[in-house]
Amino acid sequence: MAEKFHTELQNLRKETLEMAHMGRDMLRTAVDALIRQDPNLAGSAITRKVEIHDQEVRLEEYCYHLIALNQPMAKDMRFIACTLKVINASLRIGRYGKTIAKIAQEISDKPPIANLMSIPHMADLVIEMVDDAIAAYESDNLTLIEGFSARDDTVDALRHSIFREGITYMMEDPKNISRCTHYIMVARYLERCADHACKIAENVHYMETGERIEIK
Amino acid sequence: MSESAIITTNNVNLWYNGKQALESVSMKIPKNKVTALIGPSGCGKSTLLRCFNRLNDLIDHVKITGEITLDDKNIHESGTDVVMLRKKVGMVFQKPNPFPKSIYENVAYGPRVHGLKNNNQLDAIVEQSLRHAALWDEVKDRLNDSALGLSGGQQQRLCIARTLAVEPEVILMDEPCSALDPIATAKIENLIDLLKQDYTVIIVTHNMQQAARVSDFTGFMYLGKLIECGKTVQIFEHPKEELTENYITGRFG
Repeated sequence: MAEKFHTELQNLRKETLEMAHMGRDMLRTAVDALIRQDPNLAGSAITRKVEIHDQEVRLEEYCYHLIALNQPMAKDMRFIACTLKVINASLRIGRYGKTIAKIAQEISDKPPIANLMSIPHMADLVIEMVDDAIAAYESDNLTLIEGFSARDDTVDALRHSIFREGITYMMEDPKNISRCTHYIMVARYLERCADHACKIAENVHYMETGERIEIK
Repeated sequence: MSESAIITTNNVNLWYNGKQALESVSMKIPKNKVTALIGPSGCGKSTLLRCFNRLNDLIDHVKITGEITLDDKNIHESGTDVVMLRKKVGMVFQKPNPFPKSIYENVAYGPRVHGLKNNNQLDAIVEQSLRHAALWDEVKDRLNDSALGLSGGQQQRLCIARTLAVEPEVILMDEPCSALDPIATAKIENLIDLLKQDYTVIIVTHNMQQAARVSDFTGFMYLGKLIECGKTVQIFEHPKEELTENYITGRFG
């Protein structure tokens, strides 16, 4: 029976990775749509909202079934606990992607201000963090998440910088207010996605070592 | 384990007919706590349990080295009164084994053997022991009925009451629920939780979920060695030894 359970855990990991990649792709697609001012591309991220939500419900139930039927302990228990967090974080990342995609649609007919400020660069950093967090979950490789604290600080600094720059452009010309407000919100959503990547990293660390860490 | 220890084993080795069953076991059993011993069949957990009240003395060709202390006194010291030791360290076995006597006589048997004759005192001990074993309400109106007419779970609680009647300090339980259904098991587990207020409990179980539910400390044994011993939550959440991890996650055993 233990063998069957461990096969189930491998399957859970595989399906959770698929969901995590879906959330990550929704975010990447949304940012690309914002950069290219492409409402159709944005629409393709928005339509995946239902799919990722269904995945979340299904995988959470899968975890609960495995807990109820097998009473996992030690590393198996920590793996399922971590997986529940990865599922939740992936849903949140996907949903932020959807929200950014909606903004991309809304402002797609207006020229970007200051080449979207630092949003493309910030998005690259955040998506790299998400990729590394997912890869660490996939491979149990903790070296991938070693520098997360410093990377998160950089993302926070960029959000602050976009906020200040946005305020400056708004003060210069009230016509900029709508787009700059959207940029500030996009920066905020990207920062939240980095926080979710950190949350995945913290849980992967717990899964591997049994020790809790906090990435600040 | 920083709690005060009631039993300490120091480098205990045991051989049955020259075959080593325990190897260098050193551990401390904290007072008024539940300690569980887990491990695959034949790992020595029942053998270790039986060392604590010298039940292994009853088996031929057993050799023991090392030191076991109860309340800081070596239990193998010459002059140790083994009957008194077994009074202090009571035992409940896998299969309920009531005497073919009345419920009352089962509980009164131990105090009588130890010389108590006063009927009023015996009545009080029987009631108190049955109450402590969470059996009083179910049997108070039929104390003179045969103990063999009780259900399996009730018989096991009667055996616990019989152990409590001689006022032990430590109660050893060797797979006490393995012959019981889930409801009777739940009652025994609740009882173990209550008993630790007044007694130290050491339980051998092959059921890891049970060990996780009822114990404060857990020792994992493998091939006669104590591999790891620590707080139950640590053992089941993040054991230090890979062998423990592999056993409790079902990767072997």
